[in-house]
Amino acid sequence: MTPRLRLIIFLLACIGLMPAFAHVAMRMPSFGAHPLPYGETINAVATKERHVTNMVSAVNFDYRGFDTLGEEFMLLCAVTGITVLLRGTRGEQTSARPGVLEGRPIRPRSEAVMLICRIFGTLTLMFGIYVALHAMTTPGGGFQGGVIIASATLMIFMGETYRGWRRLMHSEILDAIEGGGATLYALCGFASMVAGKPFLYNILPLGTPRDLFSGGLMLIENAGVACAVAGGFAVTFLEFLEETRAEKEDPE
Amino acid sequence: MNRFTELLPWIVAAWLLAVGLYGMITSRHYVQLIGCLSVVQASTYVLLLAVGYRRHAGPPIFYTHPPGTPAVDPVVQALVLTDIVIGATVTALLLALALQMHKRRGMLDPQELRPLSR
Repeated sequence: MTPRLRLIIFLLACIGLMPAFAHVAMRMPSFGAHPLPYGETINAVATKERHVTNMVSAVNFDYRGFDTLGEEFMLLCAVTGITVLLRGTRGEQTSARPGVLEGRPIRPRSEAVMLICRIFGTLTLMFGIYVALHAMTTPGGGFQGGVIIASATLMIFMGETYRGWRRLMHSEILDAIEGGGATLYALCGFASMVAGKPFLYNILPLGTPRDLFSGGLMLIENAGVACAVAGGFAVTFLEFLEETRAEKEDPE
Repeated sequence: MNRFTELLPWIVAAWLLAVGLYGMITSRHYVQLIGCLSVVQASTYVLLLAVGYRRHAGPPIFYTHPPGTPAVDPVVQALVLTDIVIGATVTALLLALALQMHKRRGMLDPQELRPLSR
């Protein structure tokens, strides 16, 4: 199929779908006043039933907790795929030197960059943990917190150069954090089954609403998600940064 | 509220889908193609968040105001939240594929790609 033909088919499809789109868009309920039976119900009952104040977390970890388990494994599969693709040709061995273009010197980081990265790397890490911990009360949760925690590790690379980053980031540990997080989530489900309840049923004491440690089983699931996301993103960063390493290695 | 602003979210979502697909079809570079895929993905976020929006409503977090005050739909927000995180890793997976292809074939043009010959 030539690019030209493909474009013509695309444009024809667009023109063909235009009336259907117009038909649907004109008959949508008025914007901002949709009937939202599922969301309304959760907003009305979740605080009473599950003792949490963040409805998004209640949906993610309790009412639709099973879907999140699926998403967890999607994340695991994607990260495994990245690792297999990149490490497959490169091999397991690591080195302390990044790849450099011929004739380009490796300059040491300036002290200002190092200082800023040390300060903000720590602060970013703390903020990530803060966001991940407050899943049940205020906006936050394992997904957002995990990404912020993983970003904090990139600050190490920026401040301490590739060598320092490699000394701190060990792929075995990160793999374990990632897989362990996903496993923890799945084990939560099986724990409910052992207790004679349905999969992922909230079996732990729920605590008081607006308390940091409210929500029972959701707290453990949230910790699992935070670990899996943080580990997964850190592994991704590690694999891509390893890719910058020179292909034919390294006298040392 | 006139008719156009009522329709605007759906138009934006459809437009993002269309330009993303157009970019993917005409793309001559894999990195650009992956970027276009992210644009297509963004159209679903616009659609979902627009569906869950409720006028004069707060966030679905009842920390400072009691449950029962009007709030937007938490279900679509949960969907978008997980989708963004998964989407980022899937984008990274596609970029890893592109990287491998550049190593094997030395090119990144999807229109030049032919099946591997042994």
